[in-house]
Amino acid sequence: MNIKFTINNKPVSIDIEDENTPLLWVVRDILDLKGTKFGCGKAACGACTLHVDDVAVRSCSYAVKFAKDKNVTTIEGLGDVENPHPVQQAWIEEVVPQCGYCQPGFMMATAALLKENPNPTDEDIDKNIINICRCATYYRMRKAIHRAAELTQESKN
Amino acid sequence: MKTTKINYLIPLLLISGILIASNYSSSFNEYISIEKKTLNSSENKDNFTKMMDVLTHPRCMNCHPSDNVPKQGIDSHPHYFGMEGGEKDQGFKATKCATCHQKENNNFSGVPGAPHWGLAPQSMAWKGLTRQEIAAVILNPEKNGGKDHKGVIKHLTEDDLVLWAWNPGVDAAGNKREKPPISEEEFKKVVKEWFADGAIIPEN
Amino acid sequence: MSNIHQVNRRDFMKLFGLASTGIILGCTSTVEKKFQPEINKDFFAPNLFIHLEKNGNITLIASRSEMGQGIRTSLASAIADELEADWKYVAVKQATGDAKYGNQNTDGSRSVRTRLEPMRKMGAAAKMMLISAAAKKWNVVATDCKAENHFIINTVTKDKIFYGDLVEDASKIAIPDDATIQLKKVEDFKFIGKTLKSVDLNHFTHGTATYGIDVRIPNLKFAAIVRCPVTFGTLKSVDKTDAEKTAGVEKVIELDRIVPPVGQFFGALGGVAVIANNTWSAFQGKLNLNVEWDYGENHSFDTDNFKQVLTERLQETGKLVPGSRGNTISAFKKSEKIIEATYHVPFLVHAPMEVPNATAWFQGDKIEVWAPLQDPQTARAELAHFFEIPLEKITINVTFLGGGFGRKSKSDFVVEAVALSKEIESPVQVVWMREDDIKHSFYHATSAQYLKGGIDKKGNVTGWLQRVAVPSIVSSFKPMSDYASGLELNQGFTNNPYKLDNFRLENVKAESHLRIGWLRSVVHIHSGFGNNSFVDELANAAKINPVQFHLNLIGKDRVIKGKSNYPYDSKRMKDVLNNTAKMANWEKHYPKITELELLFIIVFILM
Repeated sequence: MNIKFTINNKPVSIDIEDENTPLLWVVRDILDLKGTKFGCGKAACGACTLHVDDVAVRSCSYAVKFAKDKNVTTIEGLGDVENPHPVQQAWIEEVVPQCGYCQPGFMMATAALLKENPNPTDEDIDKNIINICRCATYYRMRKAIHRAAELTQESKN
Repeated sequence: MKTTKINYLIPLLLISGILIASNYSSSFNEYISIEKKTLNSSENKDNFTKMMDVLTHPRCMNCHPSDNVPKQGIDSHPHYFGMEGGEKDQGFKATKCATCHQKENNNFSGVPGAPHWGLAPQSMAWKGLTRQEIAAVILNPEKNGGKDHKGVIKHLTEDDLVLWAWNPGVDAAGNKREKPPISEEEFKKVVKEWFADGAIIPEN
Repeated sequence: MSNIHQVNRRDFMKLFGLASTGIILGCTSTVEKKFQPEINKDFFAPNLFIHLEKNGNITLIASRSEMGQGIRTSLASAIADELEADWKYVAVKQATGDAKYGNQNTDGSRSVRTRLEPMRKMGAAAKMMLISAAAKKWNVVATDCKAENHFIINTVTKDKIFYGDLVEDASKIAIPDDATIQLKKVEDFKFIGKTLKSVDLNHFTHGTATYGIDVRIPNLKFAAIVRCPVTFGTLKSVDKTDAEKTAGVEKVIELDRIVPPVGQFFGALGGVAVIANNTWSAFQGKLNLNVEWDYGENHSFDTDNFKQVLTERLQETGKLVPGSRGNTISAFKKSEKIIEATYHVPFLVHAPMEVPNATAWFQGDKIEVWAPLQDPQTARAELAHFFEIPLEKITINVTFLGGGFGRKSKSDFVVEAVALSKEIESPVQVVWMREDDIKHSFYHATSAQYLKGGIDKKGNVTGWLQRVAVPSIVSSFKPMSDYASGLELNQGFTNNPYKLDNFRLENVKAESHLRIGWLRSVVHIHSGFGNNSFVDELANAAKINPVQFHLNLIGKDRVIKGKSNYPYDSKRMKDVLNNTAKMANWEKHYPKITELELLFIIVFILM
């Protein structure tokens, strides 16, 4: 079956035998974007979080057929080294990552949160950012999320 | 235990308040008048029992909580990861039901799915209510989203999310989820019959 | 690594006195031959760890694996500090798993402790050579020159030369004698001990860091393996029909268990492997296999039952462990109160965010591997052993590790990948599903321990009896290892930080059934939990504030040497306790101790 969608603003057309293949593996193994990570395959850890039409989605549990005609954004499309997204900028400023593996998922979840809630409280963060970091960088992430909110505000002003 | 009692009391108080407030609504009149007339109909009671066996099954109850916290599994444990219904019964602002739940079950991850996956609105909180109270809530347009009987029948027998209960897929470990005690066809039949018989809520 | 050259191998060895620090840097004749002196006009490579180019860019080699501890940054900063490099020119490259880089086993919280000085020497020697080259150019004595921020400065004339412009000249300078190398003073450090951002931060925040699971090479196949749900069970039969029909699946292969020789290596569990053209198809194919297993000896093994068995054994006297002292029996007789407790730790699994995975390409006479490994050299040796390929024909490329925690010290997943690559004659990536990781790990052992303590009227601990039953890590390498080893007991059991005159430690039988491994902090998980829980019980019985009770138990200021290079300093311990209590506002919270709990563990003192 052929499925068309856009990824990081680029239209793609893929031919795939199993339309229930998770978007995660299409992104990683077919589109060769490997910033989106496999952690559990059960939509439990959030390492595979990306955006589908601006909604944070756990791509290990999202059949590629649902992405038809939608806009998919991965960490590679969030920002680049020259123009990092405020979330990436904040992550760099607060030196959040340790092993780094779960971080793209966290950053995508955070970007989705800031879009809906530009100035989240600690409670908002606790409720929305529920991915798993095995190095436990949560403390620095919280700081970075607040910092990202500031940076977003600054860029608007 | 104290909390449980209070949880139970609040909907009761709410219901009585709404019952009084909606004194003149047609459904209320219908409810009162028919109830007295056909209380002894064993057939009706059987339909009611079967319908409520389904509605009080975890497949239905898990998404009709009274604490805005979805439940999971046959033991109805609180949804993992601290998920809640949020302001619009669709989860939190960024991490919402749709972050994991799609239009259909994902039998690889075990994440269940159906169209418009989400919690029932707070007015449809059933947890803690008796079967009779649940039925009263379902019939009450003030609480059921303005549905008349026809609308309720349609919801119960045609809505994809309701009918998901008979296509619940597998859990994260790959084990099949338990279905409600009667078949989908029988459920549709008893619902239609119960309404056809006047939607009588038996006393017990 | 072909672009890193060694000027003079023998001098290099001598220079860094590596034998004395326990680091073996390729001293075989093969390696020596490989690193013939070479003078190059394009770059300056005074040793294996430094590569300076004409544009000033410096590539430093990290010889320990990065799994979140920031070691690539730490090791590079040690070299760069002594080298007086400008940090903006520094890039870090990961060493392949080769003995020439020294011991790469990233384990035991000892990378900085053991590698800091050698790395500093690498940088300092290179700096001396750059100074010599500049001095020669200016025709001045070296003492009139100094290095500063990527330049050599003539302190008399104030002339300066950029490091990149010294490449050719510095390459001709002889490696300085070890005795002449002077390291910087602590107060002069620019990078060491200072806050530095990870050199990998941009990669981590833009999804461009390559972990093992991200490796892609041409013609790569993907594999998922179903292993017997009961550890060490064997394959009875497999129906491949459904798996082979799965979209994307190319082949289904039976994989024998690879049993490690006694005393070393990890082997592989074996099972049935599904080869596919993408990861998802391999997973699906695996789920579609219909396998019958012979569960073997472990069929009846039950963790609840095992816990019971261990707990019952604690009733009997165990083997007396050296380090026991005094007489607990008479001490208990004289005690005001006797406290007893039994503690259990369940089997634990590492569950790194990145599941075990490896990419391998077996090419007949050579093997190349890309994998997230904590101990690439053991993996290399293991492959040489099992696949009978000479060590030098095996290249282990170490990727980023999405968490390690000891799981990735074991190279079983690499052995699997190489075995499959050999079989299918194609490069292949083995990816474990999360379920595989939880079910088939080298578990951190379960344990049961019994403690008995006496306290006198003043609340002093009169005696301490501890019986420990914990399956040994040694059992994974040597059968019949039914008791915890000395190395294990020396992690918090024999050497707890308490001043105890009457102390009796008994080792209780605990045979192993599963693959026992080590998890971050290792046996301190058992000893820290047991000791601290029990001290809290004693404090409670004595009605003494637990902070004070701990301080009393640690006792007077002293240095407790034991066998370790890093002895306990009881004063330091008490300072840590006091300061922590202060920062946590302990006095305010106590005795409402439900809000705060005190746990005082010292780990890796012995390593």
